[in-house]
Amino acid sequence: MTTQVLSKPRFRNPFAGMTLRQRFYLIAVLLLLPAIALRVFTSFYPFIQTLYLSTQRFNPAYPPQKFIGLGNFERLADDPVVQASIGFTVLFVVVSTFFQIVFGLALAHLLNAPFRLRNVARTLSLIPWAIPMVIAALGFRWLFDDQFGMIPDVLRRVLGMDTRWLIDPQNAKVAIIAVNIWKSTPFVALVLLAGLQGISRDLYEAARVDGANWFTSLRYLTIPMLMPIIITTGMFMLVWQLAVFDLPFLMTGGGPGFSTTVMAQKIYLESNSLNYGYAASIGVVMVVIVAIVGAVGLFLFRRFDVSE
Amino acid sequence: MTTQTATRPQLPLVVQTRRSKWLGQYVQTVLMYLSFAIFVFIVCAPFYFILVSSVMPKDELFEVPPNYWPSEVTFESYSQMAEGVPFVAYFRNSLVFATGSSALSVIAAGMAAYALARIRFPGSNVIYIALILSVALPQIAVLVPMFQTFQAARLVNTHHGLIIMMSSLMLPFTIMTLVSFIKQIPAEIEEAAYIDGANTLQIILRVVLPLIRPALFTMFLINFIISWNELLYPLVFAHHESVKTLSVGLTELTDPGSTYTKPWDMMSAMSVTMIIPVLLIILFGQRMIIAGLARGAVK
Repeated sequence: MTTQVLSKPRFRNPFAGMTLRQRFYLIAVLLLLPAIALRVFTSFYPFIQTLYLSTQRFNPAYPPQKFIGLGNFERLADDPVVQASIGFTVLFVVVSTFFQIVFGLALAHLLNAPFRLRNVARTLSLIPWAIPMVIAALGFRWLFDDQFGMIPDVLRRVLGMDTRWLIDPQNAKVAIIAVNIWKSTPFVALVLLAGLQGISRDLYEAARVDGANWFTSLRYLTIPMLMPIIITTGMFMLVWQLAVFDLPFLMTGGGPGFSTTVMAQKIYLESNSLNYGYAASIGVVMVVIVAIVGAVGLFLFRRFDVSE
Repeated sequence: MTTQTATRPQLPLVVQTRRSKWLGQYVQTVLMYLSFAIFVFIVCAPFYFILVSSVMPKDELFEVPPNYWPSEVTFESYSQMAEGVPFVAYFRNSLVFATGSSALSVIAAGMAAYALARIRFPGSNVIYIALILSVALPQIAVLVPMFQTFQAARLVNTHHGLIIMMSSLMLPFTIMTLVSFIKQIPAEIEEAAYIDGANTLQIILRVVLPLIRPALFTMFLINFIISWNELLYPLVFAHHESVKTLSVGLTELTDPGSTYTKPWDMMSAMSVTMIIPVLLIILFGQRMIIAGLARGAVK
């Protein structure tokens, strides 16, 4: 910064005797301190503790805490509920993110199109994002209810379908993923909209002169231009949704059986039964999955990010 | 998409296709409004049902097949909710929790973002990346040690404990957004102030703060909504009625142990009241929020 070039400051201050550079370092440290303290206290430190706990047999109700090495991990590798929860979590995250991006891209085009209600559409697309997940989950649980729900009723009347949703293991998964797509697609669309607005219209004009129709300009112009944003957003959604808790917890409670139990709910259940060591080891597995997803995303980002 | 070019002034060099321009535009407009209508329906239908359920007489609510329109509007569910649940306390707790968390996160993030965006010091990049990457650490994965630490520090069942946790959760995204915002402000303004003899504190408070106030306010609104909606932390760390938030109260209605098996009347009434503050914020600050969300995610 050019300010550092300035020699003697004219003002007196508590930093007297320090060089200008030292003074800046001190200010930087002071400014960063609250943020770093918060993160260390609630993230980095508990993370280290989680790693430690995952090697322990630790349940406050059954005292002697004991080092068991990878014992917890051996146990969870054989735990059918953990396996099912990892399976459903990955399915949930991958399918959700895929459709959120596909529908989000379509919706972003609508939000970018020149028509009179465009701003209304943009405001409306904030609503699913801003609505508490608690309410979305409970609302849809009611809407999918077998007795009193409106969605089965409408499907029955219009399509003649007689589907049971939340009490059927497969359909419950479909319903939860659908609600999640409903909840976050507009958010993805708003992010992609910002990307769309960054593409010069002259490019579309040029493509049109060269004889491109809407599909070819989408395929060879829009999507390549948006690729960096699509990958960042996709990565963000994957990582963020891996920790999903409230939606399945409130919509089905993880049931029927354990068909819609996600990893986060399994951790919650184990910590509620005071199996702290075991819960921590599932947490470690979750962090590993997040790291893998992040690494793949970073790799893709480097490959596609030609613009920068 | 070709729709973008439709209403723009045509360049004289662009060759018109054989299909008449008028017909093409007409079809496009119809398609646009049709997809808009589908979009509105998909977004709004659930809220319609929640709203209608909350004012429906209870016996109509539990009829098979379901009713789509109440025969009369009644606020019975609301009064029942007010009696059955310490609603006012929960609402106040939510308000304290959301306001406190978003204020603390915006202040801490604003300070950090200024240091990261403007002051060059060794390790600044490492700190920035570590702060941003920590967003990927799932909050639930570290729940157990956090609970132990918070118990040891007597932070469980306190407002400030919840606020510390929640604001920390929102820090990375807030810092990222604010750094990108501060970097766009020309540094010459601050340099001019230095030359005029202002010290760092004066510059931050009198020069930088007014410039980034809109961004801080935007992040405050976004973080308010996020913490208003948060379930996991209050569910785990707030067991006393004096700190429980609306999200927890709503969840408890559905407990298998609660007296209602399907307390939809109270749930819908409580949902409507919980949505209202969020809706007001959106109507009031939609432009800022959209810009803020996009900036954080795109950069």
